Amino acid sequence: MCFKNLPIEFDAQGKPFLRAGVANPYGPTEATPRGAPAQLTAERIEELLKRNGYIKDLDFDPVTRVAGALAFHTVADFQGRKVLEARSMATLFRGYEVIMIGRDPRDAIFITSRACGVCGGVHSVTSAMAIEMAIGCVPPPLGVLIRNIALALEFLYDHPLHLHLLAGPDYSAAMVGPTNPSLLERARRSEAPHAEIHGFRTMGELMDDLNPLSGKLYLEALHMTRVAREAYVLICGKYPHPQTIVPGGMSSTINLTVMNEMFTRLAQFFDYSKKLATIWDDLTEFFYEANPAYKQVGARRANLIDSGIFDHHEAYDATYAGAAAWGERRWATPGVIMDGQLVTTDLHALNIGVEEFVEHSYYEEWTGDGQRQHFPTDPVGNPLSPYHPWNKVTKPRPQGQSWKEKYTWDTAPRWDRQAMEAGAYARLWNTAVAQKLPANPFIESTGTSLKLRLPQGALPELELEWKVPAVWNAFERNRARAYCTGFTALVALNNWLAAMDRLKLGDTRTSTPFEIPKRGEQRGVGFWGAGRGYLTHHLTLDRGAVANYQILTPSTWNASPSDRWRQPGPYEEAVLNTPLLEETDDPVKFKGIDILRAIRSFDPCMPCTTHIHSDAGVITREVNTCACGVDDEGG
Amino acid sequence: MRVIVAGVGYRNLRDHSVGVVVADRLLDRAWGDDVVVEDLSYNPIAVVQRLEDEPPERRFARAVMVAAVERGNRPPGAVAAYRWDGVLPDDEEVQRAVTEAVTGVIALDNTLVVTRHFGGLPDEVVVIEVEPGVQEFGEDFSAPVAKVIDHVCELVVTMATDPSAAAQLPSGGLGGGIRMATGHGLA
Repeated sequence: MCFKNLPIEFDAQGKPFLRAGVANPYGPTEATPRGAPAQLTAERIEELLKRNGYIKDLDFDPVTRVAGALAFHTVADFQGRKVLEARSMATLFRGYEVIMIGRDPRDAIFITSRACGVCGGVHSVTSAMAIEMAIGCVPPPLGVLIRNIALALEFLYDHPLHLHLLAGPDYSAAMVGPTNPSLLERARRSEAPHAEIHGFRTMGELMDDLNPLSGKLYLEALHMTRVAREAYVLICGKYPHPQTIVPGGMSSTINLTVMNEMFTRLAQFFDYSKKLATIWDDLTEFFYEANPAYKQVGARRANLIDSGIFDHHEAYDATYAGAAAWGERRWATPGVIMDGQLVTTDLHALNIGVEEFVEHSYYEEWTGDGQRQHFPTDPVGNPLSPYHPWNKVTKPRPQGQSWKEKYTWDTAPRWDRQAMEAGAYARLWNTAVAQKLPANPFIESTGTSLKLRLPQGALPELELEWKVPAVWNAFERNRARAYCTGFTALVALNNWLAAMDRLKLGDTRTSTPFEIPKRGEQRGVGFWGAGRGYLTHHLTLDRGAVANYQILTPSTWNASPSDRWRQPGPYEEAVLNTPLLEETDDPVKFKGIDILRAIRSFDPCMPCTTHIHSDAGVITREVNTCACGVDDEGG
Repeated sequence: MRVIVAGVGYRNLRDHSVGVVVADRLLDRAWGDDVVVEDLSYNPIAVVQRLEDEPPERRFARAVMVAAVERGNRPPGAVAAYRWDGVLPDDEEVQRAVTEAVTGVIALDNTLVVTRHFGGLPDEVVVIEVEPGVQEFGEDFSAPVAKVIDHVCELVVTMATDPSAAAQLPSGGLGGGIRMATGHGLA
């Protein structure tokens, strides 16, 4: 049984049902998360601030080197070197749910793509899948294969970008030197264990080349984003907002020339993945060895969720009823990891456990007196919460900021009422332990690890092994993301080979014709993933138009505020567990590098950088609210 | 001397589409072989890479960049033209610009900073800015911007084809320059 908090049980055939005798099964008291950490109350924090001079507010507004608008408020104990309060703030309204109402569903592919300036394609695909499910349209095998390759290429843009442009500088000589001089000194004396692969003789040299703007690794990452982008536009037309993703597949023309041009670019990621994995292995082990307290930076419970991605071309049938089966045949297995243990790989169980809460978010509650729950069950009769995305209504309500009340535009998604985190690492973890990978020559799921056999390039063939980590923290997130680059390249390779087989058979069909029904109500959900993990779009159609549209992104999970049970969101929890290891006692010189490492390790993408809708119009560039003027009464 | 005329902005975003609309209009003009018109409204890192792709003997010597930029200290429809002095902000700001570049922000200042930092821009950069009046979805301009759009096109052509005209412009930092006209002035 995978639910410990929601009163959902399973019958002998594995069909979920609500436990009998629970008057209000989705009420706040009937299903309270057990064993979850809780934020200190605002009153307690206020008291501590008044009584102790060494306890101070420490705000990051904006958090730099992340995509989009994120601010972070902490209260830090500089004597105890720990964080007492952590509040994550999405400072802009992402109003795509509102924009979509009343539109032709096909618009969603192009409009929701604009939610993100990095990974627009993932939104396009997720909306295409939601439409496919709603209208009953199944892409042909080559359409599925090419879609997989396209999105793998998008991740091959995304992962290096995060590792060496956004997170990497946190581990560079330029950052470590000022914050932890003894650590940099040690790095200069420490040999790098994988020098023969990545080419850096010492850890100091490696840190030098992580330096922003000038480091070789920084510049190489910029170059690799180009390689991925070039391959991507061969099949998607343009980046980051693809033009060829349609319900029922892809509208691209696929021939041998396109396939070969794509491969010459994909192949460059085999060697690059070897370098990335060994660089982040060496960095992680170096920090652990230098000071085991680094294992606590960004640490939190290993509660992870992933919707799975990369469908098997012979399995995907675009139905909700079949989702449990086709989901488990994906190249990245969907699933939920709770306290480090896999509890389900079933997309139905995953879907029905999702709820979104807005107690601390700038939205109005949509349930309540007189409100009818639109869908009491999913399309196959499994119970749904009134807080489930298919029942959710987006009702924005801007107001003043208060830790007691509302402080973010993000909602608080929960699975089985637990704060879950999403990421490339959840994709890896599920796939490693589930052992449901399609048979293939390159990737092996062992139950405790993923073995990645990367072909020869300039470097010899190499088998990398990502092992399920014993601790869960900022370093392991980055390490897993580095390995995920290799995993993604090999998924693309498997799909590229399968696509070539289709072409050999003369099968060049990439899409299936469809019509949008003009009568009745239909429902669909796209279960897919962004580079940063979990992504779903829940769609309801009414007489051919969008009646409800709900997007749940990885950063919605990760940046979520505390919930009605005072359970912190993942960024918040990770920061609350982070020791302050900087070598200074002076709050003025303090950079908060460990807090920033914790936050950036999630690869935050407040997916609202490009076009934001608000009552005042459309915002093309982020304008942050200021966390400095936090409501004192709330504080 | 090869010249690139580049529009920067967003499509279908009313006044913020000035850059792309001007580039679209000028594309069909009968230019000589030495002028290239392009829409550079994409990731500035990719813009750097595109500019670097020119063989050394065909590198652009001048860029004429046109965009709507909200400075807030001039009326909607105000047109400013200047030669950018190319002075970059400090490294932290450049890093921030790169972060915005790779995560999807399209903005003239960002494009200039990133392309200059990585050596993609020619030495001579003429910037033509229009102060937008509205920021919302739509295909048409607000009245003040609509009034100046023909003038902006003419100005761009002059700056692309007449080196002496470009040389007469004031030199300044980002957002610098003189106000050339406004919607009212042209009415």
